[in-house]
Amino acid sequence: MSVNRLNMEGILLFEHPFARVPYENLRKAFRTSQKHIERELGAVAGKREDFDGAYDALDTLKTLEGMIARVESLKAKLNTLHTTTTAPTEYVLKQRLEHLAKLDGCSMRTDPAFEAWAATRLDRWLVDWALRTGRFDTARQIATEKGIESLCDVELFTDVRRIEEALARHSCAEALAWCTENKVALRKAKSSLEFELRLQEYIELCRAGRPFDAIAYARKHLRAWQDTHGDQIQRACALLCFSASTICKPYKRLYDASRWQTLIASFRSAVYELHGLPPLPLLSYAVHSGLSSLKVPACGGHESANVDCPVCDKTALGGLAHEVPSSHQVNSTIVCRISGKVMDGDNGPMAFPASGMVYSREALEEMAARNNGEVTCPRTGERVQFSELRKVFIS
Amino acid sequence: MSAELLKELAKVEKVMAYDAAPSARPSSSKKAPSQSIGSSLDSLLDSLREFKQGIEAGATSAEVVGLIARTVDEKKKEIDDRQKEVYNALGKLGKALDKKFPNALPEWQPVFTSPTSAAALDRTVALHLVRTGQFSTAATFVEESGVKLPDDFKTKFLSMHAILDALRRQDLAPALEWAAANRPFLEARGSRLEFCLHRSQYMRILFSSNPPNPVLGINYCKNFCQHLISAHEHEFQRLLTCTIFLPEERMRTSPYADLTDPSIHTELEGMLTQEFCAKLGMSKQLPLRVVGDIGAGGALSRIEKGRKVMRERKSEWSLSDELPIDIPLPPENRYHSIFACPVSKEQSTPSNPPMMMSCGHVVSKESLTKLTKPGGRVKCPYCPQESKESAALQVHF
Ligand SMILES: [Zn+2]
Ligand SMILES: [Zn+2]
Repeated sequence: MSVNRLNMEGILLFEHPFARVPYENLRKAFRTSQKHIERELGAVAGKREDFDGAYDALDTLKTLEGMIARVESLKAKLNTLHTTTTAPTEYVLKQRLEHLAKLDGCSMRTDPAFEAWAATRLDRWLVDWALRTGRFDTARQIATEKGIESLCDVELFTDVRRIEEALARHSCAEALAWCTENKVALRKAKSSLEFELRLQEYIELCRAGRPFDAIAYARKHLRAWQDTHGDQIQRACALLCFSASTICKPYKRLYDASRWQTLIASFRSAVYELHGLPPLPLLSYAVHSGLSSLKVPACGGHESANVDCPVCDKTALGGLAHEVPSSHQVNSTIVCRISGKVMDGDNGPMAFPASGMVYSREALEEMAARNNGEVTCPRTGERVQFSELRKVFIS
Repeated sequence: MSAELLKELAKVEKVMAYDAAPSARPSSSKKAPSQSIGSSLDSLLDSLREFKQGIEAGATSAEVVGLIARTVDEKKKEIDDRQKEVYNALGKLGKALDKKFPNALPEWQPVFTSPTSAAALDRTVALHLVRTGQFSTAATFVEESGVKLPDDFKTKFLSMHAILDALRRQDLAPALEWAAANRPFLEARGSRLEFCLHRSQYMRILFSSNPPNPVLGINYCKNFCQHLISAHEHEFQRLLTCTIFLPEERMRTSPYADLTDPSIHTELEGMLTQEFCAKLGMSKQLPLRVVGDIGAGGALSRIEKGRKVMRERKSEWSLSDELPIDIPLPPENRYHSIFACPVSKEQSTPSNPPMMMSCGHVVSKESLTKLTKPGGRVKCPYCPQESKESAALQVHF
């Protein structure tokens, strides 16, 4: 049956960030190595200039020693980078690709291999969700107990949390360090995060009543953004004339403490974008679309609720149902209240003649076999011979 | 598909290796195999040190300077080439990833962040952890989230997981004890759990006796299964007859081969979990799994496609309305009857319920009224029969 066939497109949509995160980390490691090489080897090549002029053995020796020291330092840096970053990242990426490869052999929803894969997927989602909602101990415990550390981004989110907490303490230093680390990628993404952070540090100098330091800071750190953020820089400079207690709107807004919350949000979205992470927990996407696929008007009704239906459970998932759209069903589906099975041609619906209560033929036949051909409606208590039931046709 | 990704990753690993043998190039290539950065740097260091020793030994000439410069340039180029190889390999891997994952998740606004929704989601996760036997994690989560669970909830699932653990150790006693204690409930549901537990035990007894001793099995039936025989008469006949095909290897090729299938034992865990949860008034499947598997099993990608089409047609569709398209669901995930009138295509409501005509065909009440001719007779649109409108019976699914 086609509903049991796996919809790979739908499955892989959720795995986009899964391989992307370590891949982006790998690219970042490459950029770091490139930076080291450019800096150190460039310096070595630059020393050749020292050779110009008259040959002098002592000078040449000194230059050579300087070159050797540079190369040795580069060697040490690249070696460390490889063992502490590149190799572990490659390992994580490989683990993830191998985990995805397990899907290649599955075609049906009911494959035991897929069942196991989907169970792990839910564990991964729970870790991701716990990390994003600040439940770090829970996240770590699930990852460890299930042995899926390399399939989860615990470290990444721990780092994000560390920087967010610093921002919440009104410290930009940690976030700025992160910006420096990711300068190239941020520039490519046209992110203004660094500017916003610099502006905040400038605002804090103004708030503290240190105009000279503020001007020096603006000269050093804001000027570089003149082309793209000219207006904001102008307003920032005018801020020097206002104290933190000003009621003048645009300046009051710059001094407002809520700017820190905005910074946290901007930082978070920059991190997510750089790593290819979606803005919401994966669990939210899955639950949202899953719930709306199931939600029908009968859900949670006094008489129509079904204990097996996730939407009907108002104490748990059903408590989220008010946020999601209802399903859109064009065709009739009749579910037997006794067996829970969907009725079809082989197992058609039958109605009790007086109450009109409908159940599946199979369930009623089974009941009749146990009770000498007599059937009783579980909802109304109506009792008739099986032969008195009426066949129902749903077209 | 994943094999290709792994192949591209292997290439990246090879060129990114800091210390390694030169990467092998196809023999057709005229270029020399490229050196790992580590070995290029090592050979650069060696040369520089050699120059230094030479100068220290006094064998100097102005030519050395030129030689040093050339060596540095050479090695720098070697390293730059190698970095280019890494860059290209990473680029190829990136392209392969883009091909495998062409679509990113949509940029939604946050959902489930209201206090009530967040609490409901926390509770769902806590229940999930307990139901799946992750008690220690559940305790951590309760501490971190402050979510409250019913006091007896954990105790109940501790006992369920104790029964399941025993089952995995092939100890059926706790499961049988639970089944016996809940016999009326299980019988009313027509559950096969108790029978299946005894069948598993019985087959184990048969297969573990060496030489085969059917009497052990027969005694087991006599002593423990009397109350089940009438309801499962035919199956007990088979269980007793299969003994003439012992030992196990012979039975595998007999008409009783199904009784040697390991699923006879492995299915018990799932059955017990279902009945146990049903007894607690809980769903038989894990709700988070059900919802998550549907959402990430095609629903979201279909919904997003539907939204895209709607957007192109410039019709409004917000997240809170009805879904723009029908999401196909497996039959076991259909929990409610939906009746769409075949005439009007509208879903039934309490004020417009489904009505069955004398012929058995069902239409909505409004459609029935429209189909009724003066005189109160209705011609069924799906069969030749004509009946009286007043004879139609409201049906309840
Ligand atoms: Zn429901
Ligand atoms: Zn008809």
